[in-house]
Amino acid sequence: MPVMHRSASDNSYLHKDFNGALSTGIEYLHRTYGAEAVRRYLWQFATHWYAPLTEALRQRGLVALQEHFERIYALEGGRITITRTEDELVLHVEACPAVMHMRQQGYPVTELFCETSRTVNEAICAGTPYAAELLDYDAETGRSTTRFYRRVA
Amino acid sequence: MISCTEFIPAYSEMFCFLEDEGGPEAVRAFWAYLSDNFLGNLRQLVEEHGLRGCWLYWSHTLNEEAADFSMELDEDAGEFSITMHHCPSKGRLLEYAHLAPYHNYCGHCDLLYRRVLEPLGYAYDIDLSGCHRAQCKLTVRRPSAPDPA
Repeated sequence: MPVMHRSASDNSYLHKDFNGALSTGIEYLHRTYGAEAVRRYLWQFATHWYAPLTEALRQRGLVALQEHFERIYALEGGRITITRTEDELVLHVEACPAVMHMRQQGYPVTELFCETSRTVNEAICAGTPYAAELLDYDAETGRSTTRFYRRVA
Repeated sequence: MISCTEFIPAYSEMFCFLEDEGGPEAVRAFWAYLSDNFLGNLRQLVEEHGLRGCWLYWSHTLNEEAADFSMELDEDAGEFSITMHHCPSKGRLLEYAHLAPYHNYCGHCDLLYRRVLEPLGYAYDIDLSGCHRAQCKLTVRRPSAPDPA
């Protein structure tokens, strides 16, 4: 009789299929409640979940965002380039690891998946001296460029 | 990008958002949609392998989620079970100081899997009485399997 015992320390926490579940959830919101509901949901999630990151951005500036992006893209195996000055950070993602995983596994990538970058990054910056702007996004690969910059006072 | 390591708070917040939009029924409607549209691999594995399909499905997901669990498959007795000693999803939600989890977060595990397994003829049971400690027990039985109770 097969029996399996596992402790949390036996494995790394990286279940990439969750990207497909998130895409399915966004698709459901879009179909059922409309595109604006997707953006309201992502804004609400991001302002709650990333509140410590937003506070770090307010306190420490753009380096806090750089550390965040370097950490999550390293976890997911995504290749990024970041250029940063005191007032501007440009994040270039060569291919979004979430989108590439879904493509490889055959999960549908919902039309508004780009909002997990655009809306989320705008929400992270809300209430700080900074703003985010998605400059380009390729829906097939998730390749994107986002500019974070100090708002004009 | 929302990392897959941040999915659980995103999922919980989606339940909160839906409940604000349309009450608990809106959350259950989403769970039904997710079950129908995202658990095709569980359905396919169980159709192909019977109870062993449950073993194959959860061997993959629970290891990637770094869960603390014991899983047993007794094909002679027609029973598969997971004893979740510490659920990585609910456990994380309980640890976050800055995010209140959806009040019925664990309810999705009842609806999602039941909706796949019962139409295939299996009896599905989940004991969520320990979910405030991130613990639960899930059992799937073939219809002919004797009920140990």
